[in-house]
Amino acid sequence: MLRKLALGGIRARFRDYAVLFSGLVIASAVFYMFMALATNSAFLTANSPVSSTTIIFGFGEVLLIIITTVYIVYANTFLMSMRQRDYAMFMMLGAKSRKIAQLIFIETVSVGFLASVVGTLVGMGLTGVAGRILINMLHAPATHFSVFWGPAILATFGFFLAMFVVAAVINAIRLLKTPMLQLLHADTTPNRIRQKGWGLILEAVAAVILLGIGYVAMGQMMKIGLMAIGIALVTIVLGTYLLFNALLVALIDLLKRNHRFAARGLHTFTLSQLSFRIRDYTKILAVVAMLFALALGAITVGLGFQREIPERANELNAYDVVTIDAPASERAAATKLTGVMHAALYTQKVSGKTVYLNATEVNAHPLRLRVFEDNVAKLRQADAKTFAQLVQAGADTDMLVRPTDVGKGVVVLPAAQFAVQTGTTHIIRTYVVRDFIGNYDTIKTMATAQTKRFKVNPMMQIGQKFYYYEILNGMYSGFAFMGFFLGIAFLAMLASTLMFKILSGASYDASRYLMLQKVGVRKGLLRRSIRQEIGALFFFPGLLGVVHVLFGLKMFDSLLAHPYGNLIVPFGIFLLLYAIYYGLTVWLYETIVIQKSLATD
Amino acid sequence: MQNQPVVSVHEITKTYGKANEKQYQALKGITFDVQTGEFVGIMGASGSGKTTLLNILSTLDRPTSGTVAINGQDVTALKGDKLSDFRAKQVGFIFQDFNLLENLTARENIALPMALQNVSHSRQQQAVDKIAATLGIAAVLDHYPTELSGGQKQRVAAARALVQEPAILFGDEPTGALDSQSARELLNTMQGLNQQQGVSILLVTHDPFSASYAQRILFIKDGQIGQELRHGDKTQEEFYQEILDTLGTFQK
Repeated sequence: MLRKLALGGIRARFRDYAVLFSGLVIASAVFYMFMALATNSAFLTANSPVSSTTIIFGFGEVLLIIITTVYIVYANTFLMSMRQRDYAMFMMLGAKSRKIAQLIFIETVSVGFLASVVGTLVGMGLTGVAGRILINMLHAPATHFSVFWGPAILATFGFFLAMFVVAAVINAIRLLKTPMLQLLHADTTPNRIRQKGWGLILEAVAAVILLGIGYVAMGQMMKIGLMAIGIALVTIVLGTYLLFNALLVALIDLLKRNHRFAARGLHTFTLSQLSFRIRDYTKILAVVAMLFALALGAITVGLGFQREIPERANELNAYDVVTIDAPASERAAATKLTGVMHAALYTQKVSGKTVYLNATEVNAHPLRLRVFEDNVAKLRQADAKTFAQLVQAGADTDMLVRPTDVGKGVVVLPAAQFAVQTGTTHIIRTYVVRDFIGNYDTIKTMATAQTKRFKVNPMMQIGQKFYYYEILNGMYSGFAFMGFFLGIAFLAMLASTLMFKILSGASYDASRYLMLQKVGVRKGLLRRSIRQEIGALFFFPGLLGVVHVLFGLKMFDSLLAHPYGNLIVPFGIFLLLYAIYYGLTVWLYETIVIQKSLATD
Repeated sequence: MQNQPVVSVHEITKTYGKANEKQYQALKGITFDVQTGEFVGIMGASGSGKTTLLNILSTLDRPTSGTVAINGQDVTALKGDKLSDFRAKQVGFIFQDFNLLENLTARENIALPMALQNVSHSRQQQAVDKIAATLGIAAVLDHYPTELSGGQKQRVAAARALVQEPAILFGDEPTGALDSQSARELLNTMQGLNQQQGVSILLVTHDPFSASYAQRILFIKDGQIGQELRHGDKTQEEFYQEILDTLGTFQK
C-alpha cells in the first residue's frame, strides 16, 4: 500500500517529476563527465604539461561538489513542496508518522538512485560524443581518455546516493516536525524581506572584500602557488552568494520604492515575483553565476590553448608548408590548399657545402624568415641584399633545404652567376595559407608524403611547420581538450539549473498568471513581465560570471601567451548561446503559465 | 440612463463537447437584463448552469450562441487586448476563493488594476485609501493575503474589483468560504455599495441568506430560468422565507 501511494504520487504529477528528474539526471551526468577526467590521473598527467593538474582538478572537484550539493538541496526542496500536501493529507487520514517517514525515505532515495543510474549512462554517452568530436576537431591524441571509467562511476553513484540518503533523513525529520496546517499551506507563504539597511550594507561590503581577495589570489597565483586556487574557491563562492543576497534584495527594494516605476503596469507584480522566493533565488543565482564563469572560463581557456598552437608554430616557421622537388602527386595536393595568401617557387643548386639561390627569384618573392629579436619571433622579408645579414642574425633557413642539406650554408647569387653555377638543381615551393587548421588535412598529406620521399624520421623533417604543430599540439591540445570538454559539461549543467529553477516554479505561477488574466491583464503585458522576470535571472549571474572570468584568466598568464587575446570569440559564442537559451526558456515558460483559452483569442 | 440596462443577456446557449462527440447543453437559451444600480441574485443547485452563466457574463468564456452586452457593448464580439482592457475597466469580480495574488500586499493587490492602466502612483494610492475606508480594511493594507482572515481577504478582493469603478460587480459565491459573521458583514457592505454608491451587482449563489440581500432573484434549473422573485417592500426576513419556500418547491 505504501509503495503504491509513493509511486502514485509520482504518476499524478508527471510533468513536475519530469522536470525534477531530468534536472538531476543532467547534474549526475555532468558530475560523471567531470569525474571521468578528474579521477583518471593517467589521462591528466599524459595530457598536461603542468604537473599540478591533478591538484587543480582536486579543487575543481570541491567546487563541483558544492554546486551539486546546492542543486540537490534545491531539487529536494522542490520534491518536498510537491509532496508535502499529500503527506499532510495522509497524516490527516490517520497515517502513522513512522509510515510517513518511511514513505519519504523510499521516495527520495529511489528518485536519487534512478537519477544517478540514468545520469551516469547519459554522462557516459555525453563523454563519448563530446570526447570523440573534440579529439577529431583538435587532432588531440587524448591518450588514456576513457568513456567508461570505473572510479568515475563509483564517485558519481557514491556521491548521489549519499546525498539523497542524507536528504531523505532531513526531509523526514523536517516534515514530521512541521505542524500539519503549515504543510497544507506552505507554498503560499511569502518571504517578507526582513533584512534592514545596515545588514545589507554589511553583506555587500563582505561580498566585495571576499571577491577582491579571490580576484587578487587568482592574479597572484605565481607568487602564492596552488593555495591561490583554494583561496579563490572559498572567497569567490561566498562572495558571489553574499553579493546576490545583498544586491538583489536592495535592488528590488529600491525599485519598489520608486513609485513612478513600480506603479506602472505589472512592475509591482514582477518585482514581487522576484522577491517572493528571494532566498531560493540567491542561492540558485550564485550557483548559476559560478557555472556560467566555469563554462565560459573553460571554453575561453580551451580556445586560448587551441589558438596558441598554430600561433606558436607560426612563430617557428613563417611558411605553412614547403615542398622540395615535389612530384606531380604532391603538387596536385597543393592545389587543394584554400585561402593561399602567398605561394612562391625558388630554384636552388647544391654544390659541395653550399646551397645557392637565384637573386632574381628571391627579389621577386622575398623569403619570409623568422628572426628572434629580444626573445620575440619577428617576421622578416629577405631579398637578395638583406638575406646574408638576416642569416647572420640567426634566421633559420632549414626548411628551405633538403634534410640531407641541413647545416650547409645558404647563399643568394646574382642571376648571371647563378646561371653558370654548377650543382644539382632542386625546386622549392613555399605556401602560406590564411587558416592552417582549416588546411590541416591537405598539409598533413603533403608533409607526410615528403617525409616518406626523403625517408627521414618525421621529426627530422626540420623546419616543416606541420611537425612543429604536431609537437605543440601534443603539449597543448590536452589542455584545450579539457577546456572544451569541461566547458560543455558546465554549460549543460548551467542550462539545466536555470531551466530547473524556472520550471519548478511554473505550476505555482500558473495560477497567479491565470488570476491576472481574469483581472484583465493584456497578454502582451504578461509576456513582458515574464521576459523581465526571467531576464533578471539570466542577466545578473551572467554579468558576475563574466567578471569572474575576466579576473580568473589571470591564472593562465604563465601558460598562455595572450590569455586576454581575442576574447570576443569565446564570449560572443557563449553569450549568443546564452541568449538563445533565454529565448527558449521564456517561450517554454509562457506556454506553461499563460492560458490560451479564457476567450481572448 | 434607466433605459439602457447595464447587463443585457439575450438567448444565450452553451454546449460542451465537439459536434461529433457526446454533447452536453449547459445553458438552453437564457435571456434577462440587469438595470443600472440593480442588485440581482442568481440561484440554482449545483450543475444548474449558474457558474457557466457567470463565466460567460464575466467574459471568461464564450456562449455557443446568443449575445451578452455590458454597458451597451457586445462582449461576445471582443477579442484579445480589447477584451482584456474591457475586463480591467468595466467588470469587477469577487470569487469564492478570493483569487488574490499572495505575493502582493493588500494595497498592491487593490492598486493592480489601476497600475495596469498606468494611473499615476498618487492617484492609485488615493483610490486605494478611499475604497479601503469604505470596505473597512484600511488597517490591513500592508499585510500579505496569508496574514489576513477570510473576511478581510474577500474585502480586499472586493476593493480590487471596485477600485476602477466598473460598470458591474460580479460575485461568484463570495461568501462561500466565509464564516457567518464575515459573510453578513460582507453582504451588508455590498448592499451599502449598491444603495449608497449605486454599484450594480450580480451575485451568483446557492445560499438563500446571501440571495436575500438582492432586489431580484432569478432561479436557474437545468440551464433555463425557471422563476423570478422580487424583494419589493418585503422585509429581509420575509424575503428570506419566500426564497426558502421557492427553493423547496423549485427543486422538485
